Amino acid sequence: MALFITKRLLMALATVLVVAVLAFLLVHAMPGSPGAVSLGAGASQEAIAEVNQRLGWNDPLLAQFFTWLGAAVQGDFGISLIDGRSVSADLASRLPVTASLAAGATLLSAVLGIGLGVTAAVRGGMADRVIGGVCGMAVALPAFWIGIIFVYLLAVQSSVFPATGYVPFEASPQDWALSLALPVITLAVGGAAFIARQTRASMLEALQQEHIRTLRATATPTWKILYVHALRYASLPIVAGIALQFIQLFGGSVIAEQLFAMPGLGQAVQNSVSTHDAPSVQGVVVIATVVVVAVNLVLELATKFLDPKLRAS
Amino acid sequence: MIPNVAPAPADSAEPTAAAVLPKALRQSAVKKFSGSKLFASPASVAGVIWLAVLVAASLTAPLWLPYKTEDQDFTAVLSGPTAAHWLGTDELGRDILSRIFASAAGTLGTSMITVMVAVGLGTTLAMLAAAAGDRVETVISRVTEVMMSLPGTVIILAVIGAVGTNIPLIMAILGVLISAGMYRVMLGQAKSLQSQLYVDAAKVDGVSTLGISLRHVLPGLANTIVVQSALIFAVGMLIQAGLAFIGFGPPIPEPSWGGMIQGASQNVYNAPWLMVPTGAVLALTVLSANAIGNALGKAPNATASHLPSAAARRRRAKAVAAIAAAAPAPNDSAKNTLSVCNLSVGVDSDGAGHGVRLVTDVSFDVEPGTVLGLVGESGCGKTMTALSLLGLLPSGVSVTGGQILWNGRNLAAATDKDMEGVRGREVALISQEPMRALDPMFTVGYQLTAAIRRLRGMGRAEAKAEALGLLEKVGIVDAARILKTYPHQISGGMAQRVAIALALSGRPRLLVADEPTTALDVTVQAEILSLLRGLVKDTGMSVVMVTHDLGVVADLCDQVAVMYAGEVVENGRTDSILDNPRHPYTLALLAADPHANHAADMPERLATISGQVPQPKDWPSTCRFAARCQFAGSACMVPVPLLPSGTGDGLVRCVKADELAVEGLDWVATDVPSHHVLNLVEAGTAPAGPAKAPAGLERRTVEKDHA
Repeated sequence: MALFITKRLLMALATVLVVAVLAFLLVHAMPGSPGAVSLGAGASQEAIAEVNQRLGWNDPLLAQFFTWLGAAVQGDFGISLIDGRSVSADLASRLPVTASLAAGATLLSAVLGIGLGVTAAVRGGMADRVIGGVCGMAVALPAFWIGIIFVYLLAVQSSVFPATGYVPFEASPQDWALSLALPVITLAVGGAAFIARQTRASMLEALQQEHIRTLRATATPTWKILYVHALRYASLPIVAGIALQFIQLFGGSVIAEQLFAMPGLGQAVQNSVSTHDAPSVQGVVVIATVVVVAVNLVLELATKFLDPKLRAS
Repeated sequence: MIPNVAPAPADSAEPTAAAVLPKALRQSAVKKFSGSKLFASPASVAGVIWLAVLVAASLTAPLWLPYKTEDQDFTAVLSGPTAAHWLGTDELGRDILSRIFASAAGTLGTSMITVMVAVGLGTTLAMLAAAAGDRVETVISRVTEVMMSLPGTVIILAVIGAVGTNIPLIMAILGVLISAGMYRVMLGQAKSLQSQLYVDAAKVDGVSTLGISLRHVLPGLANTIVVQSALIFAVGMLIQAGLAFIGFGPPIPEPSWGGMIQGASQNVYNAPWLMVPTGAVLALTVLSANAIGNALGKAPNATASHLPSAAARRRRAKAVAAIAAAAPAPNDSAKNTLSVCNLSVGVDSDGAGHGVRLVTDVSFDVEPGTVLGLVGESGCGKTMTALSLLGLLPSGVSVTGGQILWNGRNLAAATDKDMEGVRGREVALISQEPMRALDPMFTVGYQLTAAIRRLRGMGRAEAKAEALGLLEKVGIVDAARILKTYPHQISGGMAQRVAIALALSGRPRLLVADEPTTALDVTVQAEILSLLRGLVKDTGMSVVMVTHDLGVVADLCDQVAVMYAGEVVENGRTDSILDNPRHPYTLALLAADPHANHAADMPERLATISGQVPQPKDWPSTCRFAARCQFAGSACMVPVPLLPSGTGDGLVRCVKADELAVEGLDWVATDVPSHHVLNLVEAGTAPAGPAKAPAGLERRTVEKDHA
């Protein structure tokens, strides 16, 4: 187990490193030099060259990379070319927004999805067909479309929730929850449908296992077979499905943040990409990767812990 | 936003009864051309039509569209559907219908780029990993794992930053990211195809690795490729629309679905209608692709569930009530005697059990403390008969008639709730594969003590002591250690001992053992058999033993019922049946069994029974064995009843039984040794078995080469 964890940690580290290189190269392929981006249109060639010189743009690529990486490891992603603020500080203020959004959406997807999936598998018949149909629709409808409909119905027509904006938790826990509600539900529709399908398939597979027959042959009550033994057997692929879903929902927050005007990482990616703000793009790509890889690692270890065969070895 | 198309939980089929039918029957369903699957589901037919119409309409758009995409009608800004603008107009008065269809071809076309890159790269990598061996596979798998754990959306946006909104290029890069998931889906299948025997044969013949991959592996992956293509196509469209929605679509004013929804969202307060047409077209297109993928990917026959769904249980309860009403159980049956009368079991294809019959009119009795053997080849209905004794028939199969009388009750007509009181406490089960019969997620100790507490109403500590005692009783020396282990940590023989202990935990009076030694090593088989023999003697319980091994029968059973094609063809006392078999099938089984022949009279060649057990749907109303019987004649072409055989209380189902007994005929080895085949083939005579002919022909060519 220790060896396994070490291996996975090294893999995670390698992943982040690869993405760091990728982010660095992509940013260097962006049109326009930092000086041009920073000073905007109409700046003189001398001024641009001066800024580029100051930012080390003319240094060899490898030297630039290691300078950037050295600073990034210490949590310093440089200064935004657009507003001159520290990229790290900006991202630090944005991370909680996206984290609450993605975590909330994953949690809601998991609860709804497992509930629906188990119901479909256990009840069969009509319930199964209805849940299957709803999930098929939910997977096919784009999140942004669903989000707009929610805004229209729940915020505009009946002002149950605020339509847009984000209230920090420290300011008011209640408003924080209300401001998160619509974006979280929007993202969770597709996520829940995905997890429901995964759960249904895993439960049906679990119920096909021969040990289920042994349990019945020893008069195990049906509820216990379903919710203790079958669900336990199905838990491995379900948790793996939730891990995949988190990556997806974390990315999905770009759209939710745009739709609901939330100051999260997704908005930062979108803005910095549009404005060619190189340090911001690099920073947000690396931070997003670190978060996703870390959460994935934890969930993967959880999956392994759920499996007696791997736990023992 | 970037869905990982990894192990896609496609809508798997409701477990059907066909799964319990013998393999050959399933094959035909699997081999059906996938096209028929496409048109079997109404949703996928609708999907195909919708996509075809969309593509045709979009490609011919300039010819029929009422407006150009940029035409602005200022008299009707943000209008709803009107005669002039069927789907309304946007904030600049542009016709929605025109813009949707004009942009359809581009959307579909660029989504196809993602499909081609993802599927092409994923499949190539999977075939490479499968062909090139473990090291290459490890490297590729690691790389794809890294790709799958990336925040794809953020990476795609960073790429857009570098290359601009070059949609075909972005969709291609998206394809690269998705190919990791595709690889995961394909790898297992490619590896199993690569390890097929015919692929080994091709390798021996010197076909190159590339040749094997293209000729043998790729065609096998075809269906998965089509299924995944449809699903990725849908994903590509959603992502493309999402990118356009956040402003990374085609340059304005070129229309795109995502961009149109973005425009609509700006006006959702004053013109909510605008959300409908574009959203509906996008959703319909995605639904169509998903429907096609799911229809093609549908597993033809999932394995049957061991715990039927609530809906299936309700159906079965109804059927059971009907049986109970039809035949009330007599109260005069003897204590601890099992009496099965005219039991029939069928597949629920049309209504409960009214499809194909798997077991017909089976009757036998088991006296207290005796062992009955159910013998026959695979596919003769032995296991179905045995499982019906516990009411544990798989989903989609049920008892259709007859009675299972046990202690004054008809178990065939008992509700599931009643059966819960019988299972474990009165009738217990041992299955064929001990490793799979135990729950891999729980320790042996947990499974055993939970059963003891439930079945015997004991407390935790008492149950643990009882579990230790039971394990010792089944011959496990270090019981305390075994209690703490998980099933995967013990050997097959040990697991079968645990399974037997589990079956004994409720002190049953009848044990149903479904081939309990088949999956074990020969030495372990003997130990388990002697354990069972001892248990019968000590506890006085009766046993129904399903087996195809006549050695086991001779060793353990007091009575035998020989089953062929779902019916009992002969039954009686073990010694009289083994010494004096009356039915040709029994004769054949004995002649074909190496253990049943004593060393002294062991023939030079063992006999075989040509052909195989027919599929349940092909069972004739006349003698079911006639097609394979050495003694069959025109007299056999009538329905044959089970009649007294003349030896003791034995019964036999054969019109020629008396004739055979008088003449003392034996089932003989008919297969012709291969050195005779040469002459036979040259003489133009058909060889005995079709399978033997090629072997004989090959031998001839080899011999000629040597000469």
